[in-house]
Amino acid sequence: MKNFCGRTRREFLWQAGAGFTGVALTAMMAQDGFLNSQAVAADGVTEWTNPLAPKTPDFAPKAKNIIFFYCYGGPSHIDTFDYKPGMIGMDGKTIEVKTFGRGGHKNQGRIVEPRWKFSQYGECGKWVSTLFPNIATCVDDIAFLHSMTADSPIHGSAMLMMNSGRILSGHPCLGSWVNYGLGSENQDLPGFVVMLDPRGGPISGAKNWSSGYMPATYQATVMRSQGDPILDLSPPEDLAHGGQRRLLDTLRKYNEAHQSTRHDNTNLAARIASYELAYRMQAEAPEAVDLSQETQATQDAYGLNDPRCGTVGRQCLLARRLVERGVRMVQIYSGGAHNDDNWDAHGDLENNHNLHAGETDKPLAALLKDLKQRDMLKDTLVVWGGEFGRQPTAEYEKGSGRDHNSYGFTMWMAGGGIKGGVSVGTTDELGSRAVDDVLHVKHLHATILHLLGLDPNKLSYFFGGLDNKLVGVEGAQPVWQAIA
Amino acid sequence: MLFRVGFLLVFVILAATDTGLAEDPVAATDEQVQFFNEQVVGILKDNCLKCHSGESPKGSLNLTTRAGILKGGDSGPAVDLKAHRDSVLLQAINFEGYEMPPTGRMSPQQVASLTRWVEEGLPWPADLAEIKFEHAPGPPEVNDETKQFWSFQSIKAPSVPVIAGQDLHPIDAFIQAKLTEAGITPNGPAKAEGLIRRMHYDLLGLPPELDLVRHWTQRISQPDGTLNQSAITELADLLLDSPHYGEQWGRHWLDLVRYAETNSYERDGAKPHVWRYRDYVIQSFNDDKPYDVFVKEQLAGDEMTDATGDAIVATGFYRLGRWDDEPADPKLAFYDELDDVVTTTSQTFLGLTVNCARCHDHKIDPIPQKDYYRLIAFFRNVRRYGNRSDESVLEASVREINRPADSNAYQQAVQRYENELRDVERQLTDIEKLIQSDLQDVERQEMQHDMNRVPIVSKRKGTLLTDAQVRHYRRQFQRLQRLKTSAPSDMASALCVKEDLRSPQPTFVLARGNPHAEAQEVTPGFPEVLSPPEPEMPAVPEGAISSGRRTVLANWVASADNPLTARVMANRIWQYHFGRGIVRTSSDFGFQGTRPTHPELLDWLAARFISSGWSMKAMHRLIITSAAYQRSSGPNEAASTADPNNDLFWRFDMRRLSAEEVRDSILWANGSLNRDRMFGPSIYTDIPDAVKAGQSRPGAGWGNSGPEDKVRRSIYIHVKRSLLDPLLESFDAADTDITCPVRFVTTQPTQALGMLNSEFARKQAGVFADFLNRSGGSLEDQVGQAISRVTQRTATADEIQRGLRLMDELKKHDGLSDQQAKVYFCLVALNLNEFLYLD
Repeated sequence: MKNFCGRTRREFLWQAGAGFTGVALTAMMAQDGFLNSQAVAADGVTEWTNPLAPKTPDFAPKAKNIIFFYCYGGPSHIDTFDYKPGMIGMDGKTIEVKTFGRGGHKNQGRIVEPRWKFSQYGECGKWVSTLFPNIATCVDDIAFLHSMTADSPIHGSAMLMMNSGRILSGHPCLGSWVNYGLGSENQDLPGFVVMLDPRGGPISGAKNWSSGYMPATYQATVMRSQGDPILDLSPPEDLAHGGQRRLLDTLRKYNEAHQSTRHDNTNLAARIASYELAYRMQAEAPEAVDLSQETQATQDAYGLNDPRCGTVGRQCLLARRLVERGVRMVQIYSGGAHNDDNWDAHGDLENNHNLHAGETDKPLAALLKDLKQRDMLKDTLVVWGGEFGRQPTAEYEKGSGRDHNSYGFTMWMAGGGIKGGVSVGTTDELGSRAVDDVLHVKHLHATILHLLGLDPNKLSYFFGGLDNKLVGVEGAQPVWQAIA
Repeated sequence: MLFRVGFLLVFVILAATDTGLAEDPVAATDEQVQFFNEQVVGILKDNCLKCHSGESPKGSLNLTTRAGILKGGDSGPAVDLKAHRDSVLLQAINFEGYEMPPTGRMSPQQVASLTRWVEEGLPWPADLAEIKFEHAPGPPEVNDETKQFWSFQSIKAPSVPVIAGQDLHPIDAFIQAKLTEAGITPNGPAKAEGLIRRMHYDLLGLPPELDLVRHWTQRISQPDGTLNQSAITELADLLLDSPHYGEQWGRHWLDLVRYAETNSYERDGAKPHVWRYRDYVIQSFNDDKPYDVFVKEQLAGDEMTDATGDAIVATGFYRLGRWDDEPADPKLAFYDELDDVVTTTSQTFLGLTVNCARCHDHKIDPIPQKDYYRLIAFFRNVRRYGNRSDESVLEASVREINRPADSNAYQQAVQRYENELRDVERQLTDIEKLIQSDLQDVERQEMQHDMNRVPIVSKRKGTLLTDAQVRHYRRQFQRLQRLKTSAPSDMASALCVKEDLRSPQPTFVLARGNPHAEAQEVTPGFPEVLSPPEPEMPAVPEGAISSGRRTVLANWVASADNPLTARVMANRIWQYHFGRGIVRTSSDFGFQGTRPTHPELLDWLAARFISSGWSMKAMHRLIITSAAYQRSSGPNEAASTADPNNDLFWRFDMRRLSAEEVRDSILWANGSLNRDRMFGPSIYTDIPDAVKAGQSRPGAGWGNSGPEDKVRRSIYIHVKRSLLDPLLESFDAADTDITCPVRFVTTQPTQALGMLNSEFARKQAGVFADFLNRSGGSLEDQVGQAISRVTQRTATADEIQRGLRLMDELKKHDGLSDQQAKVYFCLVALNLNEFLYLD
């Protein structure tokens, strides 16, 4: 019998254990023999299994972890990876083309010819623009999805869709689903980490990494690559040298005395254990973010000392260190705040994309190469893209700015079981809409879940009267052409 | 028609020919049979047969028999044995022409397997007539059988069980009957101190002062170990009369109606005057407003003939949800908003998930899709929350309400306020004019949204504008924001529902829930399985501003004859007292919900609820005076072996404080809680910059309240959908996007980190230490007092010694001062399990 919000007593134990290091918490308690002593589930029927240990996937996973490099604002596909030679020489021509962006529906527009030159790279001969000279050297490891579509060309709802599969807020994000489905292998770090652009968060802020109707344990933890990595992680300065341990020991004694007459209440034990776990995290998390442990060569490769890409470099390097330590999903936001602080190139396309590609090209390529060289790329899935692409025509009477385009755009994936050097789907000769092998955001999500060993059409969470799925009730196939 | 007959005739002839072929298949080899069984069948079942099987397969194509495949459907044979490559089946799975399955391409292995099978001539096991494919059972129908479901029956009070030789409270009679049957001896009564604490938190969400505990302990404890019931009743009455009762129980209601004060999405803009709805709820609980009236006011208060300001405010119920101010598909957004209303209404008031029937018949309950749209029809004329701009929200969702009697004072206030608004706007536009010609198209568009104005103007600092001008602009902008949120209270406006009757729209069933696929027209109606009366829609008089439909709905929902309303609310009241409902799935009384552990008790309570005049306070008194409520929460091995889930209420379950209770109790313990200031516009707590950094404009939409406001009760904290106070969030405050009937109770290290290291925790520990200092007394006394402040009992000598020892160690090893050591002891006190858990 299902419970309305999935809150049977067994669920309570699971909640105590899942999510932000919760898996570890339960695992720890299991090691202590505390939870294992329960032979029968709390509902008195099912055999009790440790819900806190990492869950077994539906089938052998190809990827263990995922790094989602989110280009907030919507990068232009035809200026980056979706080569449109037919547009050369067309600049300024007014043509009939149906577009839909924040400026509404239009039937014609003035072509803005792609502003960067394209060349072929790799054995696969992929055309890449001069915006990404470094990523261009990795194309044989990348599968490009050129025929992506989404339900909305408006940032707010489109971002929710890319992150949670729905244009309505209130639904759990990809990272929440992944941690719900797989648990976390990590004892002392969060299972779902988000890193933000220092210029600001994306619009709708925390809604983009919320766990929606799932417990808050599944939502992302915001991590910083400089300063205190996690909110409230650092103990007060004057307790830093053993004082906090003394404080926690005293707390534990009080709590154990309280528990002695309430020995059957597992929540009390769980809360006692949670303080020990928090204490361990205080030690573990700063170690994970200590980039000085990396060699000079690695730091240089990621561009840590390059003022232009130092921030993204630190985030990419930190992402590698986190997945190395078992963090299930890391999401990095390239771009923040509003207007040209992110990829939302409504005004001057060239300035905008030169800025953001310039900040990200080198670190991202370094990440792919570093993962490969450490033999981590095979089980680390890297995803690149934004909530939509951009239109082939100009948004305004003057200038090169492009409006949003959810009729067709490009995302790419690498590692974690992805077939390198392939391009799936096409847009029309202008890149105005996907025409062949049309893909939807749900196919991207299905691919990610599949590579992680989860059946996208089976992974469900009961809420509000129905079994909800990330890919929706209708279901979705993974993009098989992109899978090795 | 003639044509069709002819077509069919040809088809039949063709089919007959194909059948001839199919009856003579090439004999399949063992290997082929094995391949068929291990590969082909699974692929067909997973990808094709859901639609292409059964009596009326899609496109008339049935893939469960070889003959069916060869015969094909509307597009001809699925497989052409003479030209495999041209087979429709292979074309479809390769996305050439048809694109099948609709969920996306199958895996290459699957495509290869089907291709091989087709190329080999569809080898088929000789002994297999057809592939057995079981469709998921169809949705239950509305019929005499499904109408018999327990929660759909009218409410009749069952007789109270008689337990020989015992004169029991009626609640206990029902509970004891089951315990006796199960051979379980329940726990005895709780200790008086614990019960007093339990009652305070339960009814007020706040702890009692220690001397009150002592006073009431004396009154309640009796030498024989029993509790003095008249003293308990007296205490319950006292608590129910407290104005803070409405803050605690109103909070439960706010969870159910997805109460939030912003719209979510890109701007996550603030809802005007929304706090009045929160105040209305608190006041309604305090007034013990009959629940049926409470329901009617929220659903149709605006349509009441003598609609008071309160009744208008109550309809803010419709306006609490999310609002996408620039939807990609406005028609879809319109129905999404109505869906939010149907979801909240049906789950909250009726305990039914009617919302599951938006795209198809409800899969589990006997609720046909038509019923969903008949419910929609009651709300069809409700205007959208707004149409993009702030002004449109004022137009569509705000009304002026009962002005103060002194109309002169009111007029003056209006005048002053409007003058000030005009003044500030003039100052802003004066500066904006200076940069008008320099604005790019994109900026001109951005300027329409308030939040972009300052950044765009600031960009011109040092070029078109001087530092002083930009500073002035910023100040004036802040003034405008202040004005917008603090309209004088005598200019009373309410966020409320409004209808648009200029051209009343018919309601249609939407095929697959698609707003662009209107099917059968429907009229307003109630879910058929409840055997409701057929609603009669009132005539709409000329010039009416509302259709009166929602009144019809409200009257039916709030009727004593409605089988669900009283049951659902009686169960909720029980749930908030005991931690779980008699029906655990308190918003799902359908087939999929859990069955009541005590169905007779629930019916008896529901009947009593109605006969008491729908009085919630009467229900509280009833429940609190039961032995079941007063039981100890302690361990009981025999009982917990027999009933580990406490289904039978052999004890009272311990509970953790809710998010709001945690914060309020911290402030209460250190003496800083400002509980006297109730009601009014919401307040802002200190949210760390690190959390605000997640916003696209860090700090946007979050104000700064004065020190006295920051320490008000948590129910008054501004509820911003995209920015939550981290303490409340980590202790499982309700998600506000969808109705929340039961909160999660998680235990996670982030809570420990926040309670140990956050600026809030450390600051409050400091205030606590100062509070102890002010109280005077020896250090021992202060430690004892701190423990009492968090546990509501006298501290033991051991506990005091332990605290003193910690302070000694911190001074000795960490070089802390007396005061610092005391602060950290206070921090320990605020982290005690006993502080956060109620017996």
